[in-house]
Amino acid sequence: MFASWNPAQPEITDLIIQHDPCTLERLPVRKEELVTVFSRFCNRQALRVVRALPENDGFLDARAIDALFLTVHWEMQRLSEEFYHGRRVWELLRCVIASIRQAGAREKLRIVDVGCGTGYTTRWLAANIPFADYNVEFVGMDLNSTLIAEASRLAVAERLPCQFIHGDAFSREHSGNVFLSTGVIHHFRGEALLEFLRRHDQPETQAFLHFDFHPWFLAPFGSMFFHYLRMRTAIARHDGVLSAARAYAGNTLAEAARTAAPEFASGIYGANIWNTPIPRVFQSLVGLRRALVPEFRRQLGRRALRLGDLK
Amino acid sequence: MTLLILYVLALLDGLLCGLRASMGRCPLIWKRGYYARSLLRGIVGGQIISTLALVALLAVAASSTHRDALRTDLELAAGRMLRIFIPYAALVLFNLALRLVPSTDIRSATSVLMLGPLTAIRPLVMVVGVLYGIFTSRLMETRLLGLFILALMLSLEFVLNRRAARAQAMQIRQLV
Repeated sequence: MFASWNPAQPEITDLIIQHDPCTLERLPVRKEELVTVFSRFCNRQALRVVRALPENDGFLDARAIDALFLTVHWEMQRLSEEFYHGRRVWELLRCVIASIRQAGAREKLRIVDVGCGTGYTTRWLAANIPFADYNVEFVGMDLNSTLIAEASRLAVAERLPCQFIHGDAFSREHSGNVFLSTGVIHHFRGEALLEFLRRHDQPETQAFLHFDFHPWFLAPFGSMFFHYLRMRTAIARHDGVLSAARAYAGNTLAEAARTAAPEFASGIYGANIWNTPIPRVFQSLVGLRRALVPEFRRQLGRRALRLGDLK
Repeated sequence: MTLLILYVLALLDGLLCGLRASMGRCPLIWKRGYYARSLLRGIVGGQIISTLALVALLAVAASSTHRDALRTDLELAAGRMLRIFIPYAALVLFNLALRLVPSTDIRSATSVLMLGPLTAIRPLVMVVGVLYGIFTSRLMETRLLGLFILALMLSLEFVLNRRAARAQAMQIRQLV
């Protein structure tokens, strides 16, 4: 409908910070390359945003971009708060943890928040869940060092029992028993989505919960209205709406997970409100080791109705 | 009584403006203190606006040659404004009260379906309320006072937002 809603294009925030995939070192970003990308999609809104970004000799000013990223992530936290995202994550995670315990695991469980940004979900869990009772540790991971530094600063400021690590969440040294993410999975397109899901199949990993926008025809309109009201930066307004347009359908996600990580039973949780056709803003891709499924359903109780096919 | 209700509504509006201006600008998890300060700033803003409006009202009344007529005209205009402002305020308060229901879906729905749109139409409600109030007034003083108060009301959130944005930008500059 609008050029800025074309799901084939990347989000601006996908491009303005880039890292070396091996060393994770920050790479300089040439502004003209971004202009070329969004010109190809005739996306005038993105072009306006990109052209306004501060630069030095044709390269984006890294410090200004970091400041912008922090501003945007602080704003995004507001959305998570308004949608009670921490509670929603815990509602599912609690059942996953109970299922793993029921299967006999006694060791400390490592819950890894993939692409955690400033770590809202991890910090919320650390602040609200009696982690010692559940014998779990909360770890947030991201490839963006500025966001990780901010997440660590905030956790220290509130003395929250969680840690944040700059690195690859699926590497051998950082892998977890449960992986979760929020608003991350739609950033992986095509083969990259399968590769992302494939990497979940690690010896110690028991489950994954990936929360993302639930796409339906009114979602971009709703997102546009909501972002216009709630977000103050032009980049957040643009990317927020594009995220809703790029979100994967539940079937696509579940099928991708079943193909890429067949050791897990995968399905969608919470797509609609109270089993009506009214969609929730967020849905979650749930994957569990097959042996955990019956207990997981039992733990969900009446909420099991929200769970689609888990296979 | 009418003036008192308008005053209470102005304070309530200030309080919510203060809250909105501060939202999305503090990344902590526990921020009761932060929001309490924001609410207080909003109330102070609302109080300043009410005081300025009162000063303007008294100045107009003092310089008027037809005080009784002015008083009647102002009361009529204020009463008409309340017909717009009270239902709006009641709707906002009702939706805020709904957030006490222990359901994440209901709470989220109040944000998306009601509080968001109600925030969006706030400037419109202000304009419509004041214009509706002064539409039938016979005195120019009443009309000018109404427009002056409208300008004050509309500028409140703008000023609180600017202040909050400046504070946030300073904080972020120190972080990067």
